[in-house]
Amino acid sequence: QGAEIAFGNVEQDPSQPVEVTAESLSVDQDDGTAIFTGDVLIVQGEMRLAAPKVEVFYDEAGNRIQRLKASGGVTLVSGDDAAEAANADYSVESGTIFMQGDVLLMQGQSTLTADRMTVDTRDGTARMEGRVRTVLQSND
Amino acid sequence: MFGRGDFYSRLVAWLKILLPLAALGILSTLFLLSRNIDPATTIPFTTIDLRERARDERVTAPEFAGATEQGDLILFRSSSARPDPENPSRGLADTLSARITFASGATITFTAEEGIVDQRRDRAELSGDVVVTSSTGYEITTEHLISGMRTIHAETPGAVAGTGPPGDFTAGRMLLTTDENGENARLLFTDGVKLLYDPQDTKE
Repeated sequence: QGAEIAFGNVEQDPSQPVEVTAESLSVDQDDGTAIFTGDVLIVQGEMRLAAPKVEVFYDEAGNRIQRLKASGGVTLVSGDDAAEAANADYSVESGTIFMQGDVLLMQGQSTLTADRMTVDTRDGTARMEGRVRTVLQSND
Repeated sequence: MFGRGDFYSRLVAWLKILLPLAALGILSTLFLLSRNIDPATTIPFTTIDLRERARDERVTAPEFAGATEQGDLILFRSSSARPDPENPSRGLADTLSARITFASGATITFTAEEGIVDQRRDRAELSGDVVVTSSTGYEITTEHLISGMRTIHAETPGAVAGTGPPGDFTAGRMLLTTDENGENARLLFTDGVKLLYDPQDTKE
């Protein structure tokens, strides 16, 4: 089953500039694949995505970034919401982030866990699927 | 007094005199009026250049070619080179450039204003707005670059700034390395990389 929740407190325009900082970037000279390694941080508007490794995928024309594939334990922060997962796939063009591998979403008091989560940064919603469980802290 | 026949023979008689004279005149123009080529000005080298060229044995447009075991070709070329006075095994080159053609067909080129070429130690130092361009669409600028001449290895001691498919970036250092067996060469930007990608400006 799935749950639709708000994520990040602001609609975000996916055509904002994306800034990537990392320890190093390796570009294979035969096919041009670019891989960032070493605490990579992707920042776009309110959204921050941190991961140890991020690979860049281009569109067919080859001069625009289509997808950033983050792996090795990803944390995503947007506004005051935060989410963690094994890896995440950020489609820059459509502004959607697909996270999978024991996803943990922390929103204010409540935390949700699931197998997969799709965050649409454009309208600030997140959709969690696969064994969604909510943990409510009773702050007594 | 002159009949028809006389006129014809007088004409021929005059022609016998005039025509050779005309021929003589045309022939003389060949020698008397010819362009005078001044032997001194034809040589394009000035005396200073000649003396300098003789003194330091300058080589013009030298090329140093090498290849790795994997079949990657490395070609260094400069506009002119002369031996380093302190260390004759090294050459000081002006406008040094290099082109590496990988066995896979990809290419990387370095260009720089000047460089020091030391074939014995398999090492070339490029300096003076060094530009590295690769067939994968990257163009990187830096101040200094040290590269092998028979092996695929290059590194920049200082920071680099560049642009490529993922966007514009800066990095603390750049290396061109391969695996131990010399396969899959890659450009490695390290010591901190900062990249900015703007989805709006679609580079052609």
